[in-house]
This record gives sequence, C-alpha cells and structure tokens, in this order.
Amino acid sequence: MERIITRFVTALRERGIRVSPGESLDAVQALSLGGLSGREPVKALLRLTLVKNVNDIPAFEEVFAQFFSMGQENALGLDPTDLLTALIHIVEGEQLKAEEHRTQEKDEPLLIIDEEVTAEDLENLLAMEESDDESAGAEIMVQLDGHRGKMEAPSPSDYYMKSPPTVAFSQGISKPKVEPFTPEELADMQEVVSRMLVRIRKDVKRMKELESRGKLHVIRTIQKNYRHGMVPFLLSLRRKRKEKPRLVVLCDVSYSVSHATRFMLLLLHTLQNRLMHVRSFIFNRELAEITPMLRNMPVNCLLETIDRGDIVNLDDNSDYGNVFLEFKKKHLENMRGKPAIIIMGDARNNYNDSKEWALEEIREKAGYMLWLTPEERETWHRGDCLIELYGSYCDRVEVVRDVDELSRMVEDLFYTLYDHHDTRAWKGRRREQKHEEPHDYRSYYTRKGGAAPAFDATVRRQW
Amino acid sequence: MITELEVKDVLRRGGYIADETISTAVFLALRMEKPILIEGPPGVGKTGLAKTLSEVMDFPLVRLQCYEGIDEGKALYDWEYGKQLLYTQLLRTQLDSYLSESADLRAAVERLSAEESLFFSQNFLVQRPILRSFLSEKRSLLLIDEIDRSGDEFEALLLECLSDFQVSVPELGVIPARNRPLAILTSNGTRMISDALRRRCLFLYIGYPEFDREVAIVRTRFPELCEGLARQMVEFLRKARELNLRKPPSVSETLDWAQVLSILHTKQLTPEVVANTVGVIAKHQADLQQVNDLARQILAV
Repeated sequence: MERIITRFVTALRERGIRVSPGESLDAVQALSLGGLSGREPVKALLRLTLVKNVNDIPAFEEVFAQFFSMGQENALGLDPTDLLTALIHIVEGEQLKAEEHRTQEKDEPLLIIDEEVTAEDLENLLAMEESDDESAGAEIMVQLDGHRGKMEAPSPSDYYMKSPPTVAFSQGISKPKVEPFTPEELADMQEVVSRMLVRIRKDVKRMKELESRGKLHVIRTIQKNYRHGMVPFLLSLRRKRKEKPRLVVLCDVSYSVSHATRFMLLLLHTLQNRLMHVRSFIFNRELAEITPMLRNMPVNCLLETIDRGDIVNLDDNSDYGNVFLEFKKKHLENMRGKPAIIIMGDARNNYNDSKEWALEEIREKAGYMLWLTPEERETWHRGDCLIELYGSYCDRVEVVRDVDELSRMVEDLFYTLYDHHDTRAWKGRRREQKHEEPHDYRSYYTRKGGAAPAFDATVRRQW
Repeated sequence: MITELEVKDVLRRGGYIADETISTAVFLALRMEKPILIEGPPGVGKTGLAKTLSEVMDFPLVRLQCYEGIDEGKALYDWEYGKQLLYTQLLRTQLDSYLSESADLRAAVERLSAEESLFFSQNFLVQRPILRSFLSEKRSLLLIDEIDRSGDEFEALLLECLSDFQVSVPELGVIPARNRPLAILTSNGTRMISDALRRRCLFLYIGYPEFDREVAIVRTRFPELCEGLARQMVEFLRKARELNLRKPPSVSETLDWAQVLSILHTKQLTPEVVANTVGVIAKHQADLQQVNDLARQILAV
C-alpha cells in the first residue's frame, strides 16, 4: 500500500502539486485506520491529507481519475485511432463542402479550416502514430520542456531604443490592443502586493513600537491603571492623531504607455483602500476620474471600458499641459490636506503647449510628487519628450520597467509619506537603501556622487 | 471504534447533512487527532459543522474568534498581575516574619527565590480558549474561527499548539494537553494561510452543496415545507449563484429563505413572491435587481 501511495504522490508532484513527505505519511496512517468503504471516501481521504490548497483540487481530481483507472478504457470508451479516423471524415466532408461553396458563390465556407491541413496529412499522422514507439514521444516531450518559457514577448522598452518617429509609425499601423489580464497575472499581482503589504505592515508596526516615547498623558495614565491600584503598568502618551496617507494617481492611457499603465491600474485596484486613500485619474487629451470604478468593477471589465475609449478618447494625442491645467482647475481645490501625487506617463506632449506653470501650482499644493515613466533614460532627450522640464518640478523621477519595480516604487513612496514621524530606525533604513541603489536619482540631477574625490585627507593621515 | 458511515449518521441526527468528504474529514480528525482546516465561501456551514459536532459528540465547545491583532494573551494564557500584586500586599506581614529569620540580605534573597514558584503558578494563570480546551476534564471541541483575520504571528503561535497539543509557558515550562481536543479551524480565504499551518491540518474545502444535498438540508431543517417548493427554491438559488452576483446566496441564505417561505405559507414560487422576499437572498442593491430579473425570466408562466 505504501508503494501505491508513493507512486500516487509522485504523480501528483509531476502535476505541480506540492506534497511533503509528512503529508504522504499522514495518508498512509489514515488509510491504515480502516473504517472506510467505497471509492469516494478513499478519494476524500487522499484529498484531505495530500492536497492543502483549493487551487490544486481540480488537478488532484484529474490525477486521481487517471491513476486509479490505469488499464481501463478512457472516459468516452473510444480508441484513439477511431477518434482520428472520425476526425479525418469530418475534415474531408468539410473540405468538399467548402469547395462546393466556392464554386457556387464567393461566400466564406461555414467552417474555416486551416488550408494547410488536409485529409492526407491526417492520414499520415495516423500512419505515424502506429509506427511510433514510446521513446520518440518521450524525446519530444524533453525537447519541449527545454523550450518552455523561452518564448517571451520582447521587453516593452525595446520600442524606445529606436528613434521616436518610427515608433509612432509602427504603433499607428498595428494598434496594440490591451489584452485582459490572465488569471496568472492577477495572482502574481496579488502576491506582489501582499508581499509588499506584509513588509510595509511590519515596518509600520515597528515604527509604532518605537513611538512609545513622548510626553506622558497623566490623567489618562491614571485612569488606565485604576485597576492596578494606580501603579502605572500601562502608560498613555500624548500623541497626535495620524491619518492614512492620501495618494493621487494620474495615469496616461495613450497607446505609447498602455502596457505600463495596465499594471499601474492593476496595482491600484489591488491596493485600493487597503493601506491608503487613493484617488485615481486617467488621461489622454482630457482627464477623468476612475476611483469609483476601480472600487466597484472587476479589473478586466474596467480595462475593456478604457480600451473602448468610453472614458477618455483614445484616438487623440496625449496633451500633458492641458491635463495639468484641467486637474488644477477641477480637482486640486477639492483635495484635502497635502496629497502625494504620482504621475505615470512618458511625458511625450506631441508638441502641444507644455504649460509647466500648472504643474508648478500643483506641486505647491502637493506634499510629494513622483513621476514614473516606462521610458529608458537614454531616449529622454529625443523628440517631443518633456520629462526634463516636468521632472524639474517633481521630487523624484523614476523609470519603471516591470511589476516588481512598480511595487517597489510604491513601497518607497509609502515610507516617504510616513517620513514626518521620522524616527532613528527609519533614518537608518533609508541610509541602507541609499547604499543599495547605485543609480540614485539625486546623483543624476545634481551630479554630486559622480566622481570620487581623488585625495582623501583621512586616509593620508593614517599613512 | 467509529466508522465514516457512522459519523455521517451521527451528523444527520444533529441536523447536519454531510457529504463523503466532510464525514471522512471528521472521521479522520477523530481518529488521527489532527486539526481540520475548513475553507470555503461564507455561509456554507463551516462554523455550523463545528457546532453540530460539539452537540452530537457531547464535546464542550470552546470558541476562539480571531481578529486582527489577536495575540497569545488573548488566545493561550495570561498572567493575572492584579491578583499577584494583591497577594503580595496581603502576605506582606507573613513575608516579613518569614524573611526576618534569615541572617543577612543574601540569605533572605535565597530564601525568597526558593518560594518564587508560588507567584508563578497555575493559580495566577488566566486560561484563554486554547489552554482551556487543552486542560478541560472532557475531550472538547476547539473552534478557531476565521483564522484568516489574524496575522502571521498568530499563525506561527498556533503551530506548536496544533501539532503537539501543548502550550509552553516560559515561567512554568511545557503544559501538555490533558485531553486532546478536536480542533477545527475555519477560513474564508481572504488571506493565504501559510503552508506550515496547512501541513499540520487536514484540509477540507466546503463549496456550495449539490442539488440533492441542498434539498435534503432544507427538508431536515424545515420539514413543514413541501418537497416541490423546496426543490423549486433550491433550483432557483442555484441559478442565482451563476449570475455573478456581488454576494452569491449561500446555504445560510437558502435556510433563511426557507424559513421566510414557511412562515408565509407559500405553496409555489412566483416572481411576486421572490420580489417580496428578495432581501433575504440578495444583500446588495445591484444584486436585488438581477435576482428579480432572473425570477421574471424563469418563474413566469
């Protein structure tokens, strides 16, 4: 029995279900207890002891059905060769029909079949199937395994390595359609965000612990310790009320940055109200708020709506100056406190009026301003890119290439927002981070950390 | 020696209709003394299973409701500082006379430290749910409800308790369980439970029940409801679950609705009946409309 379980566990592991040795021991122990009868309870037993994740249950069912029906016929009771001959018949018939159609009228055939697959091909396949032995199949499998994961989409930043006119041209011809998120992407994002939340939460907790100094609130301390005979076991301190950081996000949704914006939207959707107040806007030529939609709609639905151009017209060219002016007029007055503002876009203004004074006024009201661009630094000076101009008003300009970088940026921002609580540990943490980051934005703008001093007095003295 | 089928029967007597997976899980948990981790959408009877079990097996129910920020002081044990202080105050005179016999300060300290265990004894220990269920005279049922609401730290705290059924108190040492409780953990899946905890439990997923089982559940709880209406009701709710509602109606909603319909002496479902009682099934403004539309679609003759 142990051997059967071990083999079954191996089969499960091959399907990607993680089963620990302890769990297979549990299964063996459970089976030896007895008291079960029938196939279903035993299946339930194996599932209870071996599978520890909801998502793995369908895979388990499959493996179980396969493993414990070895040597029996398959579900439909059909022979694979029979199936193939049936398929050949269907294809032949369909091709005849298609030809009839073509001779009668110029209509499309009812069922469109790839022209290159003919009935003969399938027959060849049938012949091959018969002559093939198992080893060949295994070899093909191995080769496939080697190639898995190597077919990747080209990284988005490649576009910008070419000169801007060709980029615009090529993108104009094949408008890249925004695909809906796959479940894997959603799960990935969930994981990235939850990891980030865990990190942040821990730090916030630590910070709160460090906060246990300050002026003593005498009255409240006495009240609190009444039951301990006024011996102050529990302290109460005077503290200012904190509020969640407020965040405003402006996302460019024009085609040139859509791939990056997608992930920004997804990140926002996952973050929404879990940690901070977020107000999200999208813009192309005009600006629109999508906060309520982010809260209420499934993210794929929202993405489709944006893609159809229902919220902002996507056929226009983006006009940053206009957007900043509009934001200042309509929304900035209504914002409470000093929100942090994130702008996501490539700052390609299509030679419109830059109106940087609007951005300057926004900057005055904002507590912090961060610009995220998907474009590599080398191409910033080419074409209609205004990031150098706009960037001078921001506290920080960063390049983000993928989800990880994006989440790190947001995390970083979070620390910055909590900065006014400044504690010593916090400062230490930031110092560490400075060492980690060789491409510091400050060195880029101020060119301070460029060349190391040639002569160091302290070292000299030691000699 | 109880078997899986007997477990099923016992549960049925308590008014809980279980399928093979549930009864097998309970059977294994009883025999292997392993905790069960139950996941599933809200309202499918995760907590209900624990309650019924404690009733029919005659295990006293010890319930621990998890929330964000729960810690060992709330879950395992706590020291009663107040009582400790009070005792030292009251015993001061005795202590004085006791210590006055010793020659010098060093001897006094030695003498006092010999009696230290007096102040850190079970006498001053407040038992919180987990320790209480471990130390109960009878085998108990420990229900740790909605564990996904607690934090990682709390999960880590549970590892020792659930795998070895013991609690370590630094001042006292390890306290093993007098009677190993039947532990049931429930989770709504709002947060991923760590693999370490999953590994120590039997993992039971309870989804929405099959048609026949749901009808049986309604029939056992409300025998006065006629068979035809019960079937019609369940069928309607199963369709409603496919609607992509914000809060799909669960088994608890089915039972609530069955109760409402039996109070109203309804004989058959019509769009009007659904419209009048829709608040029992749908819990969001947007959902109300969708359910009403569905009723008009299916039930209109």
